[in-house]
Amino acid sequence: MGVARLFVRRRDGRVEVRLNDGGRSFVHDVFAQVVAAERDPDHEWHTSLAPPIDPAVDQDDPVATLRRQSEMNTNAELALVTSGEQFLNAAEAWAWLSTLQVALRSVAVSHGLLSDERLAQSDAATLEYVRTLQQLLFALAECL
Amino acid sequence: MPSVQPLRTTSEETEVVTSETVATRRPWNVVVWNDPVTPMSVVVVIFRKVFGYSNNKCTQLMLTVHHEGRAIVWSGARERAESYCVKLQVAGLSTTIEQGD
Repeated sequence: MGVARLFVRRRDGRVEVRLNDGGRSFVHDVFAQVVAAERDPDHEWHTSLAPPIDPAVDQDDPVATLRRQSEMNTNAELALVTSGEQFLNAAEAWAWLSTLQVALRSVAVSHGLLSDERLAQSDAATLEYVRTLQQLLFALAECL
Repeated sequence: MPSVQPLRTTSEETEVVTSETVATRRPWNVVVWNDPVTPMSVVVVIFRKVFGYSNNKCTQLMLTVHHEGRAIVWSGARERAESYCVKLQVAGLSTTIEQGD
């Protein structure tokens, strides 16, 4: 029995999204979380969204920080507004991949999952969340 | 008749200029760090998108990150290094820049 593909690259270059309602709901929630984290400094993912390039240098480079934040807003917001689309163009598919990856890293940082051992010891709900994000990322990366 | 004063070049001034020249010629490295959650294929796609490298080069860099914990993925001028670092961070990778030897 074949495994249903979650994303399919079409001949016209667009990526077809074949997520069911549950999958759509999941990615919508993930994208909304990233957008919320960008806007709320108290959000548990906020600090992992804009890590310093180099702590010693970054304090003297507010322009780089602003540019980083503005670019991230664009990706996450684009992903959120296209979360219900059936077909994604190249920029939208990239925004999905970037935002899912940012979410994955944010979960890892906020839960301290910075080694294989810590990941293996995490609770079932967190592990399932991480695995779902990884599955979506893996499937989408195959199309890009 | 006005006299033309010769330009003064003290040894101290010469030393400062030389020091700055050496400092700016040292390249800045963009370093990508390993993490236990990011799928390998995602790292390859991000490298290809950000740098335009071949699939083979992206895969080699990804494997270096995976096995050695970090990899220098680009070296050059500081401004471009910062720009690449930002792009990789926006794509969700753990990256820093450092000045090379």
